[in-house]
Amino acid sequence: MSMNNTNKSFALKAVKNINIIFILLMLVIGFFIIRLFYIQVIRYSYYKHSALSDQLAQSKIPASRGLIEAHNGSQIIPIVLNQEKFTVYVDPTLIKNVNNVADKIVNILGGSKSNIVSLIKTKNTRYVIISKKISQDQSNKLLALKLPGLGTIGQDYRVYPQGDLASQILGFVGDNSQGSYGIEEDMNKRLSGTPGYLKAITDVNGVPLAASKNNINIAPKNGDNIVLTIDVAIQKQLQEIIQKAAQSEKSPLISAVIMDPNSGAIKAIANYPTYDPTNYYNVKDSSVFNNAAASNPIEPGSTVKVFTAAAALNQGVIKQNTTYYDPGHWLIDGFKITNIEEDGGAGTRSIEDVLNQSLNTGATWMLMQMGGGQINSKAREAWYSYMTNHFRFGKITGVEQGFESEGIVPKPDIPYQSGDQQDLNYANTSFGQGLTITALQMDSAFSGVINGGKYYKPYLVDGTLDSQGNISYNHPGVVSNNVVNAGTSKSIISLLQQVVIKHYQSGFAYLNFPSNYIVGGKTGTAQVANPKGGYLENEYNGTYLGFVGGNKPQYAIAIYVTTPKVSGYAGSYGAQPIFGSIAHMLINESYVSPIGN
Amino acid sequence: MRPSSQYQSRRGSRLNNNLEMPRKHKPDYILLVLIILLLSIGLVVIYSIGPGLSVNSGVGTNYFINRQMVSVFLGVIGFGIAAFMPLKYWHKLERPLIILAAFSALMVRVLGQEVNGAYRWIQIGGFSFQADELIKFALLIWLAGFLANNIKAGTIADFKKTLLPIITALFILGIVVAGVESDLGTTAVMMAMMAAMAFVASVPLKKIAIFGGIVVVCVILAVATSSYRQQRVATYLHQSQDCQNSGYQTCQALIAVGSGGILGLGLGNSVQAYGYLPESANDSIFAIYAEKFGFLGTTILLAIFAALFVRLKNIVERCPNNFSRLLVTGILAWLSFQAFLNIGAMIGVLPLKGITLPFISYGGTSIMFVMAALGIVFHISRYTTYTVPTKNTEGDDYDNSHNGRRLRGSRNPATSSRN
Repeated sequence: MSMNNTNKSFALKAVKNINIIFILLMLVIGFFIIRLFYIQVIRYSYYKHSALSDQLAQSKIPASRGLIEAHNGSQIIPIVLNQEKFTVYVDPTLIKNVNNVADKIVNILGGSKSNIVSLIKTKNTRYVIISKKISQDQSNKLLALKLPGLGTIGQDYRVYPQGDLASQILGFVGDNSQGSYGIEEDMNKRLSGTPGYLKAITDVNGVPLAASKNNINIAPKNGDNIVLTIDVAIQKQLQEIIQKAAQSEKSPLISAVIMDPNSGAIKAIANYPTYDPTNYYNVKDSSVFNNAAASNPIEPGSTVKVFTAAAALNQGVIKQNTTYYDPGHWLIDGFKITNIEEDGGAGTRSIEDVLNQSLNTGATWMLMQMGGGQINSKAREAWYSYMTNHFRFGKITGVEQGFESEGIVPKPDIPYQSGDQQDLNYANTSFGQGLTITALQMDSAFSGVINGGKYYKPYLVDGTLDSQGNISYNHPGVVSNNVVNAGTSKSIISLLQQVVIKHYQSGFAYLNFPSNYIVGGKTGTAQVANPKGGYLENEYNGTYLGFVGGNKPQYAIAIYVTTPKVSGYAGSYGAQPIFGSIAHMLINESYVSPIGN
Repeated sequence: MRPSSQYQSRRGSRLNNNLEMPRKHKPDYILLVLIILLLSIGLVVIYSIGPGLSVNSGVGTNYFINRQMVSVFLGVIGFGIAAFMPLKYWHKLERPLIILAAFSALMVRVLGQEVNGAYRWIQIGGFSFQADELIKFALLIWLAGFLANNIKAGTIADFKKTLLPIITALFILGIVVAGVESDLGTTAVMMAMMAAMAFVASVPLKKIAIFGGIVVVCVILAVATSSYRQQRVATYLHQSQDCQNSGYQTCQALIAVGSGGILGLGLGNSVQAYGYLPESANDSIFAIYAEKFGFLGTTILLAIFAALFVRLKNIVERCPNNFSRLLVTGILAWLSFQAFLNIGAMIGVLPLKGITLPFISYGGTSIMFVMAALGIVFHISRYTTYTVPTKNTEGDDYDNSHNGRRLRGSRNPATSSRN
């Protein structure tokens, strides 16, 4: 056999074999085309759907929450700001060198490397949160590493440049971006704004790809910036005053409201104890979140006599200078009504005496006058109408606060229970027992009594602030004009001025005020209802209702001090000193325009 | 394929060659067109996904295309050198190539960087060199010469002279590429190359089956010793069940291919390249291509590959000698098997191997050696015979065509021997 024959037979075999291989290759290509037809044509919609479920992001674009600002003299300063903080996340499937990535993260954020490594190694997820609330600076440093699978998401958090100032007025914003308590809750909708909407194909990190006609992008409408009526300096000092008082008087809760009686604008509201809104989540007793001045109604005691007198004067059944014979006690429905302050027993008394000496028998007498000399259905109806329609007790004021309470005013004709003494109940209400009122309701009604008779809706929101810093004011205004008539208003002002002067003369030295200012007020010492029925022994709440002004009252002040441990009456020794401090502060720091100006 | 007119003047030098070559004629320009088409498709796809690649890689949008253009340029140089270099020089380069390949395999383990549990790369300056490609290339040159020698010596079916060295080579490769570098995909391509060359060299099927058996044992061993490979096999067996972890790439590849539909999303509209599909420019580029160009595009691409295989097969049939025949066979097996492994993984019929799609995928080493190999084919295509040998072919030397114009001094059988 020649070499040529060998070559030839080999070549023939090679040709045959290469063709066998070639046919196999073509079969594979044919199979691939069939497979591609199956995937790309027959199963197209399935894979398209899978693709979109990964790639299409439909997300809300969060609106920036509105800021909260407040007056500070003639300025407006922010008291609640936003700060963007960042949440760091990783997509574990995209991280190849876990150790290296963990080292880089620890370099910037600190913390434990082993912890971060174990987070990155989380199975069955493409989203693991590594850290929360990191700063913009830290976020930028992390993003500058350009590590595949590592990202940050910004979220606004509230910051409080004034610390715990007005925290109970403000409320706070939870992790879910919803406002809780106070302005944040009540004005949540306006502060939140309207989120935008984004529907777009995104890259694996959720960043939208170049705009296509199918992308939808609606910009968010940011929340309103709100300006409060609160005056920062007054608020700050009020908080200090009541904190000091709460400590020295060992009272578990003090509330105070300072209002402009001529507009209903609230200048300050403070309660003690309070909380730090930055660390709201550390608060153990959630009742501290409440603005007690608006949400905690109590039986106010003798401060209600101001309203009893105003109602009687306004009905014309008594006059400012009326005198009457006070027997020292009344027997009503078989019960004896006496005076807590045992001062003098029977005798001829004036209206001024009733307020000055805080005579329960005098308040009862005024209620009797509304019924033509006795407590009857007419007296009850008349007093009920004044309490609820004129003074708006038992109704919420509508101030911009969460959890406002309306309190309880007993109905004039329905006994609470069979055998209940309606006349006695009503006699009690004439001097502030058996009904509950919040400090805010009290101050709002008092404002109407001393401003000539207009009931202004109390308000905390002065207006909204645009980006140029211009306020558009939006005041709720007058709810009714019939609180009392102008004459009654004048009488009450002068009667309450006399009360302050008398108290000063009787030894309360701190009630000396410059003569070019008008200052008036009334104490109240109330028995505290026992949750088991009846009243507690030796526990009293002190209240005070007063005003400070020049030509006319400019500040209406209501103070509630619960169960202070003071010697003497809770009203005179618990609440009245606080009023004294507030009035001096307002006058000394020129918040009040003196007479003649 | 017109014969050259310089036959006479070139004759003397060819007579001195150990490798007898017929007259030089026009090369296979269609082969060249197909190569240019494939390279262009690769460049266009890589260019168009630049912004997507930059999402998770932290490099600029033009990083990949710029480097790929350098790679293609180097590939063209490699192609040019191989196209003009006489075949005999490849014999001389056989030993240096093997030594260089062995050296680079060692360096990979010493200096190489681990990517996905495999060691394949050596960093040289700013570029990385994939040792497997060199090993593959060296194996091709060595095996073609070795088998051709045994055919000549009539020992192609001899166990000691043919089978034993091949099995030894297989073991060395198995240990180095599969064992040390953990690169099972390249190992599979090399096995396919060896099997195809042995088959075309008429090594008896029974004996090829022996190393088939050895391969099966090696694969089982390889899978059993690497958790990364076990995971890939498990992923392959339960594809759709585990889209979040180890099956993530397969799922995303299928989503890319499937969402392309019939006509595709269009060149600039790939979404999966934006960080969803890992290795978009390298191993997964077929899926991105399928997403962009749809079923129409994938069919066209497969048709281009099929056409390339047809050209290679035709050249094998018409090769002037056994060495060239086996070279082209090996190159055909290499390109086809590598393309199939890559595409098969993207369409969910084969497990992921971490292997590139020839011509298309990003990566300089792959393109350089593929282009050099095709340069050799292009060179050989100048010397093919006019007809395919058949049983009816008259004459005693298939190298010589009937028209006599390809006649050369090969009537003397001694000149066609290779020492």
